[in-house]
Amino acid sequence: MRIVVVGAGKVGRTIAEHLTQEEHEVVVIDKDEVALHRCEDTLDVMCVEGSGANAKTLVEAQVDTADILIAATASDEVNMLCSLMGKRLGAKYTIARIRDPEYNESLSLLQTELGIDLSINPERASAQEISRLLRFPFASDIESFAKGQVEMVLFRVAPQEKIAGIPLWQLAQSLPDMPRVLFAAAEREGEIFIPGGDFVFQPGDHVYVTGDVMSVTRFFRFLGKNTAKSRRVMIVGGGRISYYLARLIVPMGIYVTLIEHNREKAAKLSEELPQVNVLCGDGTSQELLEQEGLTDMNAFVCLTDRDEENLMTGLYAAKQGVGKVIVKNNRLNYLDIIADLGLDTVISPRQITSAGILRYVRALAGSAGTKVEKLFRLMNGRAEALEFIVREGAPYLGKPLKELTLRKNTLVAMITRKNKVIVPGGNDHLEAGDSVVIMAGERGISDLSEVIIK
Amino acid sequence: MNKRLVIRLLGAIILVEAASMVPSLLIALLYREPGDAPAMFYSILLCAVVGAPMFLLARPERTNLRAKDGFGVVALAWILMSILGAMPFVFSDLIPNFFDALFESVSGFTTTGATVLQDFDRPLHGVRFWRSFTHWIGGMGVLVLTLALLPKLTGRTAHLVRAESPGPSLSKIRPKMGDSAKMLYTIYGALTLLEFACLMLAGMDIYDAALHAVSTAGTGGFSSNGASIGGYNSLAIEIVITVFMLLFGMNFALFYRLWRRDAKALWESEELKWYLGIALGASLLLAVLILPVYRTFGEALRYSTFNVATVMSTTGFGNADFNLWPIPAKMLIFVLMFLGGCVGSTAGGMKIMRVALLMKGAKREIARTFQPRKVQTIRFEGHGIDDSMLSSTAAFFGVYVVLILIGAFIVSLEGHYDVETNLTAALTCVSNVGPGLGVVGPAGSFAGYSNFSKVVFSLLMLAGRLELFPILVLFDPQLWKK
Repeated sequence: MRIVVVGAGKVGRTIAEHLTQEEHEVVVIDKDEVALHRCEDTLDVMCVEGSGANAKTLVEAQVDTADILIAATASDEVNMLCSLMGKRLGAKYTIARIRDPEYNESLSLLQTELGIDLSINPERASAQEISRLLRFPFASDIESFAKGQVEMVLFRVAPQEKIAGIPLWQLAQSLPDMPRVLFAAAEREGEIFIPGGDFVFQPGDHVYVTGDVMSVTRFFRFLGKNTAKSRRVMIVGGGRISYYLARLIVPMGIYVTLIEHNREKAAKLSEELPQVNVLCGDGTSQELLEQEGLTDMNAFVCLTDRDEENLMTGLYAAKQGVGKVIVKNNRLNYLDIIADLGLDTVISPRQITSAGILRYVRALAGSAGTKVEKLFRLMNGRAEALEFIVREGAPYLGKPLKELTLRKNTLVAMITRKNKVIVPGGNDHLEAGDSVVIMAGERGISDLSEVIIK
Repeated sequence: MNKRLVIRLLGAIILVEAASMVPSLLIALLYREPGDAPAMFYSILLCAVVGAPMFLLARPERTNLRAKDGFGVVALAWILMSILGAMPFVFSDLIPNFFDALFESVSGFTTTGATVLQDFDRPLHGVRFWRSFTHWIGGMGVLVLTLALLPKLTGRTAHLVRAESPGPSLSKIRPKMGDSAKMLYTIYGALTLLEFACLMLAGMDIYDAALHAVSTAGTGGFSSNGASIGGYNSLAIEIVITVFMLLFGMNFALFYRLWRRDAKALWESEELKWYLGIALGASLLLAVLILPVYRTFGEALRYSTFNVATVMSTTGFGNADFNLWPIPAKMLIFVLMFLGGCVGSTAGGMKIMRVALLMKGAKREIARTFQPRKVQTIRFEGHGIDDSMLSSTAAFFGVYVVLILIGAFIVSLEGHYDVETNLTAALTCVSNVGPGLGVVGPAGSFAGYSNFSKVVFSLLMLAGRLELFPILVLFDPQLWKK
């Protein structure tokens, strides 16, 4: 597909990078020559200098023949204008990043009037992600499929974990009480595995476990992990993510303490979020944190604008024994090092935004053959979970899974049939209309027929 | 340096070269002349034996190249390609001395067209076609061709293509480099075929038409005729060649936009206006200057337009010996040798865009002397030009001149040619024109220089074709360290 990306900032670049890897034709527009040169040097894209809200620039980028226009500049207004003009000039679909809460109120009106097909709000998407993580405090990532009935949860195998040291095919015999769940992917020392029958878990592995919500919850209870959601949460930094997060989790009955160092900002937050305990102070000060009862918290979320501050404060909180520590990090370079230090939950709005946009682009691109209904990037983008709807007339309908040949490094992780979730074993089969979740240790799968070879 | 990737890339390029020798082999098989087909066949075999293991066995772990490595690879690729491209001349005994053959091959790939060949009578149609076909390969660039065929070879291709494509800035015509390369070669091939047809209509035989079409397309200048185009003594042929020389000196992105029915592009292109303006002005001026030599103004115009086109597009065909013209006419030819064609064309030289930027920059500096507080952004093609671009253009010009002077000095150590010959020989090599003045004029040849000087000329031609920096980076010891 031909895709025009407006804005060569953090998000724009990440999107362009992924799209070129997936063989799309990408044109990047930006006013900043330096950012543009960096794009041109490192990515196989065409660059056009100019404002995305300028029709001449858009025409130069041949937006008239573009399939998708993605407006990802720092300014909501420019993004909206871009989408409006792009649509009028002939772009088939438009995606805009709109982040200001003010616009959020009237988003649906704006979207229809401006012809925006998908609007994405990085801060809100990040807040949603964090709120999910707070529900499973021991998990470092949670994705949901099949309208929320199926969950995929990433956790770290602890020393003396019950499941450690036993080959997967023996698990059902050795641990008869274990609820039926599926181990979808594992990461060990930076390498991704789609575990087969003879895979043995070791302490320290990061494992994605999947199943219907009840089974997954029971599985963690079986492992002796605390599945009660966090009751007391401390948030440092009063930015937009914090605002959205507080709005999301306060109704869940969570007591939120929010620390913001700017007095005006803090006052405004307390006005908007009356149920939140808003404090004005330096959230990185250990004294303040201790005074406000850091050690009593179930979870600590650090969302200041500085990555380093977030990491250091997060590490401190983890050391103080806070069960769940979530930090924001916009630069992804250090992810591996951070994980080694013991912070396994790092949120990157940039990654979340680009994942959201890519998910949409993928679904559009998959219009030929079986569509990818939903796509999740797992383990820092090195593995994918893809949701497909099985079509009528596929050659593999009705055959038991054990008789089918699957593509290497893939796994059928979940089947949902008529709102019922099936954790697939060798005797299960596919029917037309089923929703299937496929785990893949590689990228670029766009069709179910690529996974099931025979 | 990512050595494995470099080796794999070089292997791919050698294989592409082997494939590009096949047409010449077919021609040789058609004419059945002694020593012709075997020379092409053994050359292809040699390329395959060298290239295939490099391409197949080197397994790079990473597919990214740093900017400097990219430049180094391009330079190495061109040197290796030239050495292997010289083999048909050696094997066929057309040019038995290896250094002569190397000079001829480099001159071919860099689309210079300077020659050491004096024997135009031996019937070696295949090898002779190869000699001109090197222009076609080198004109658009062998890396561009390799990327068109194997777009997945490396991750970051921008550095490679930038090092090989003429001009200070890289302009892609399609978002993906591979598609861009394919499109460029499609336009290139179509224009070459068009010229081939025109030359047939103008009365050339099929072999000569094909040979001169590929020679013009790369703006090279090798001819199958000892007296070059002048040997045909046909006005029609000269007009066709003049038009196509000028066309191949234009930016190929313009042809792409024309193809997309964007006719405004021609009118909007500032560089094209400069290019055609200079060509027109210089032709008229030259016609006046050479009027004493020819009978009518019409005849003078015939020779002046052809020679302005051949020098500006840096092709190097001849229909007259400008060495015999009056001094002012020779001086004008000398100046034109610096200019070259447009950015993104197959022509050599400094490129019209750089010349235009230098002029505009100079004008601004002069204005600043009188009005120190004057703020003025230089514009080109409707866009403001960054000061860093201006200073790098100025640096390019500086290095260009210094390289010519150093080259001329080194070859003058031989001691038996005059200043005019040595200076224009170095200039014509760096600018990839072909003929110079004096002994290396259109009727002369480089054959009298020593082997050492020929290597120096070869390096100058490569430096000129790759726009200086890729060849210069080879002399940087840091490139070779781990």
